[in-house]
Amino acid sequence: MISVDALAPVRRRRRRIFPRTGNAALTVGAPIVLFLLLALVWQWAASTFKSVLPPIQNIVTDIVGRPDFYLSNLGVTVGSAMAGFAIGISVALVLGAAVVHFRFLRAAIMPLALLLNVTPIVAISPALVVAFGFNDIPHILVAALTAFFPMLINSITGLRAVDPQALEVFDAMAASRWEIFSRLRVPSSLPYLFAGARLSVAAAMIGAIVSEFTGSSKGIGAVIVTATTYLNLSQMWGAIFFSAITSLILLGLVGLAERLTVRW
Amino acid sequence: MTDTTTATTTTTIELSDVGRTYTRGKKEVRALTGVDLTIKQGEFITLFGPSGCGKSTLLRLIAGLDTQTTGEISVFGSTPKEASARKDIAWIPQSSALLPWLDITANASLSNVINTKADRSGATTRRPEDAGDLLGEIGLADFRESRPDQLSGGMRQRASIARGFAQGAPLMLMDEPFSALDELTRDTLRIRLLELWDRHKKTIVFVTHSAQEAVLLSDRVVVMSPRPGRIREVVDIDFPRPRTWELAETTEFVAKVAEVKQILWSAWEGDE
Repeated sequence: MISVDALAPVRRRRRRIFPRTGNAALTVGAPIVLFLLLALVWQWAASTFKSVLPPIQNIVTDIVGRPDFYLSNLGVTVGSAMAGFAIGISVALVLGAAVVHFRFLRAAIMPLALLLNVTPIVAISPALVVAFGFNDIPHILVAALTAFFPMLINSITGLRAVDPQALEVFDAMAASRWEIFSRLRVPSSLPYLFAGARLSVAAAMIGAIVSEFTGSSKGIGAVIVTATTYLNLSQMWGAIFFSAITSLILLGLVGLAERLTVRW
Repeated sequence: MTDTTTATTTTTIELSDVGRTYTRGKKEVRALTGVDLTIKQGEFITLFGPSGCGKSTLLRLIAGLDTQTTGEISVFGSTPKEASARKDIAWIPQSSALLPWLDITANASLSNVINTKADRSGATTRRPEDAGDLLGEIGLADFRESRPDQLSGGMRQRASIARGFAQGAPLMLMDEPFSALDELTRDTLRIRLLELWDRHKKTIVFVTHSAQEAVLLSDRVVVMSPRPGRIREVVDIDFPRPRTWELAETTEFVAKVAEVKQILWSAWEGDE
């Protein structure tokens, strides 16, 4: 007897940020060509509007000339961002799990969380500096606040995104609430949690930098403020360059963690 | 043990005057009404009918996934919820509903990590079977370590059936498990299911909207009709076992399928 269905196994395709064209020259070449074109436009703009953009070689010279200056300030910002990220997503995960299980908590928490989300963090930051003084705490808290919301929404969505028929299988065996949570809801939610973590890690970096605009003498935010004060365009763009690269690396790390955890 | 347990050795499920009414706003919808049915141990019985006839509702009531609004249901002498709490009921859903993060063997042995309280307390009468052996029996020996997304739809459905049998529960409830598959795969799996049922001595209640499938598989076909969902007739199917594809080619088989369908047609004409 031939078993008809046992032929070719199927493989689901992963979503990719970078498209696979099947042509290495195209995948690597196309962005490089575009990048070089943009660099040319930049150089033209820098020579025409001298007070708007610095020439690229000036930025490079500044970065290469004092890497310690940039890296030590970057370290401060990343430290606040990561501490805030850890706090923000931890609170979001706990609240997300609670909200999914208790309807009154959902009713109580969601309006407040939404209010928090629409409140501009730039407005909260000075208030926190007044409250906690000139140290890392206000910056960590702002990073935590910005990281919190995307993770909360994604954890709630994820914990509810359970295959209803798998839930029937669990219910027919009289699975306990804890078994349904740990063996069904949490694993089902992992892709959503990582999507949330990607948004949160980028948000935490932004939160940390913005909060350093006030009440800080260290960190990438403070470097940008100083550069503004002295109209030091090279330093300003050097700082922007470092924060963009760092966010990219952090996103890559979350993506790596996802690849190691979510293997389906 | 008391007299009730002796009495239930041949009777697995008893339903008397079972009904289920849903309330949608001010409107009441009778999904099921006046169901009387006795299912014997080791029987293969199908609930057959068009959509809206209440066959899936009835199956969910027997599983304890839903509660009837009228009447009584007894599963092994207790309520469906009690039987479910003892893990004495295996549920096989329409889609395979495998857990994508577990390999096929871990999926098939799911019953060993769920509701472990029932196993520890000794309340259950289930006899868990080795998931690996069952996967071999159902033709998935080479795919024990695969993940569900690496398998075709038919293979996933086999794994889901293996998960049901591995639970080792005396009663198995199947909610149109083959309806999403192509015809050739469906034919293969029906015969595989009959082989497993025969070897493992289970009581199976099987929901389907295919008259052919109902006649091929069962000892008795419960023909149901909608508005409100109810039993029209229970038809005995006496074809000898083991049954194979060849049976489906015989004139007797075709006649039996027509007879089962005729009950529904006459029911509809009566409605109009």
